[in-house]
Amino acid sequence: MAIVEVKDLFKRYGDVVAVDHIEFMVAPGEVFGILGPNGAGKTTTLEIIEGLRHPDGGRVVVDGIDVQRSPREVRSRIGMQLQQAGFFDRLTVDETLQFFSAFHRRALPVADVIHRLQLDEKRRARVDTLSGGQQQRLSVAVALINDPRIIFLDEPTTGLDPQARRALWEVITSFRREGRTVILTTHYMEEAQHLCDRVAIMDHGRIVAHDSPRGLIRAHAPGTTVSVSPGGGQVQFDGLPGVRTVQQANGEIILITSDPLRTVQALLELNRSGQVNFHQLRVEEATLEDVFLHLTGRRLRE
Amino acid sequence: MRGFWVTVQMGLRMYLRDRGAVFWGIVFPLILMTLIGLAFGRTGSPTFAVTVVDQSGGLLGRGVLQGLRQVPLLRVEEAADIDAALARLRAGRLTLVIVVPAASSTDPIRAYFDQARVTDSQMALMILERFVAEANLRLAGAPQALRLQATGVAGRIEVRFFDFLLPGILAMTVMQTGLSGVTWVVATYRQRLILKRILATPAHPAAFLGGLVGRYTLTSLFQMAVIMLVAVLAFHARIAGSLLTLGALIVLGTLVFVGMGFAISTVAKSPEAANLLGSAISFPMMFLAGTFWPKDFMPKAMQPVIGLLPLTPLVDVMRGVATRGDPLTSYLPGLAYLAAWGAVSLLVAARRFKWE
Repeated sequence: MAIVEVKDLFKRYGDVVAVDHIEFMVAPGEVFGILGPNGAGKTTTLEIIEGLRHPDGGRVVVDGIDVQRSPREVRSRIGMQLQQAGFFDRLTVDETLQFFSAFHRRALPVADVIHRLQLDEKRRARVDTLSGGQQQRLSVAVALINDPRIIFLDEPTTGLDPQARRALWEVITSFRREGRTVILTTHYMEEAQHLCDRVAIMDHGRIVAHDSPRGLIRAHAPGTTVSVSPGGGQVQFDGLPGVRTVQQANGEIILITSDPLRTVQALLELNRSGQVNFHQLRVEEATLEDVFLHLTGRRLRE
Repeated sequence: MRGFWVTVQMGLRMYLRDRGAVFWGIVFPLILMTLIGLAFGRTGSPTFAVTVVDQSGGLLGRGVLQGLRQVPLLRVEEAADIDAALARLRAGRLTLVIVVPAASSTDPIRAYFDQARVTDSQMALMILERFVAEANLRLAGAPQALRLQATGVAGRIEVRFFDFLLPGILAMTVMQTGLSGVTWVVATYRQRLILKRILATPAHPAAFLGGLVGRYTLTSLFQMAVIMLVAVLAFHARIAGSLLTLGALIVLGTLVFVGMGFAISTVAKSPEAANLLGSAISFPMMFLAGTFWPKDFMPKAMQPVIGLLPLTPLVDVMRGVATRGDPLTSYLPGLAYLAAWGAVSLLVAARRFKWE
């Protein structure tokens, strides 16, 4: 049984189609990620599921309830963190959570939530004195305050430094351990790869693929990536041993190979014989970034 | 319901931590009241210093002096030297110099005033003209009835300027809270997606909006109490009517102007624009609606406009209650007009309200 079911969802703003007939399901207890570049339609999709926006077509069922028919009922069962949503500057962390707790029928004790998000030291600090990472944790704390079965996080780690990002990853992983379902959007492929049981890759309002990170890599970017920045010379890269696909992005040639050792040897041979010069040679295990590149011909962040 | 109360509670905390709100809600009205009160009112009872130069040396001069001394708003002195008196007038120490001509001449009684101090001079001249007119009537042997009416006029003047000013300041503060405070706050909450964040909870949005109204009602009452306390303690203002009635009027005014603030915030695109629009509406109203001085001082051509402003009926009824203890029933049309403004504003706000 799916806990979230999205069927044939469609949304347009004027001439721009933001969400183009997408479908997916989320199983209870899984961390589901929507990965895509800015403007792919991730936030719009999330906000339709949360009942904050009306779709122009399609249907969303959350925990057995039709979102369009009873949005308030759905909101009492979910917790959400909104992208860029601010709080009252002149309230403290503690007061902010008390405030939002009063807007729910059921709520966890404020002190517990503060402790969970490691905000104990900042409990009596005013919101406008918090760092970016602390504000983001407060934002996730607000999503947790009503002890929801399903938590929505919209780009929870955007703009955070690596340490703050790691800290939030810990929290999200703990949600999963408690059996909560988490649906998050991100444009960081490491984040999706690290946190998510399944990932939907979204581009221009469409879901171009969805599966587990491993499954996606296996299906769309098998093998290893070898990237070169050539300095000159004309070479037929697809003739090299092991190479399956050749792509070009940002002046780099990206080779996906099933035999990285022989591919690199051949490249070095070409370099030595002067047929091609390169500034850089990188060998990497395939990532979701490669999956995205393979599916769309573009990088996630450009 | 819990959402309503928590909004009121947290709103009050935010108010007390917001120096700007406390400044505009308490300090600014107090400064205005003090400045205007000192400029026009002068807290002592005789308001205008008048020097009489008696050149008649006889009955007429005595009569004028005696008569003027009975007018409560004038502090009358006698001087022999007209040039010395005029010098004091130029120095701003006197409001009028009145010269009573020699009994043998046919000259009129002359009054000198300082052109630089228009309002004071006009008020003092008005009093003098009234006095001369009365004296003429009396000299002509006018019937008793007219003298009775003249006494009535003097009684009304007994309302000191400060007592007159205080209710105007209170009404202005209520308006400012709605048009400058609420517009800014709501537009900021919207821009920073705080409204959206609240909409994302299962509670009904009315709990939050109602809580905001509750918060502003309480802060308005608090502001009223502080301003009144200062007015009474520092400026010996007298309040004739009931405080409860004044409180009820403050609540009504808050509902109306907070409603207008909500409505304005739905039109503007940014907090800055909302605040500017609110101020553009409130500032002219502040000066036109009889807040600081009687409406009659404004040009005749403006009177119809003044009558239409929503602040005007609030000032009128608050002033009536505060200075004379008038019952609310004498102001029903004004109160209804004010309530209509509130209803229309809330309707516009409800229909156009956007959460992001």
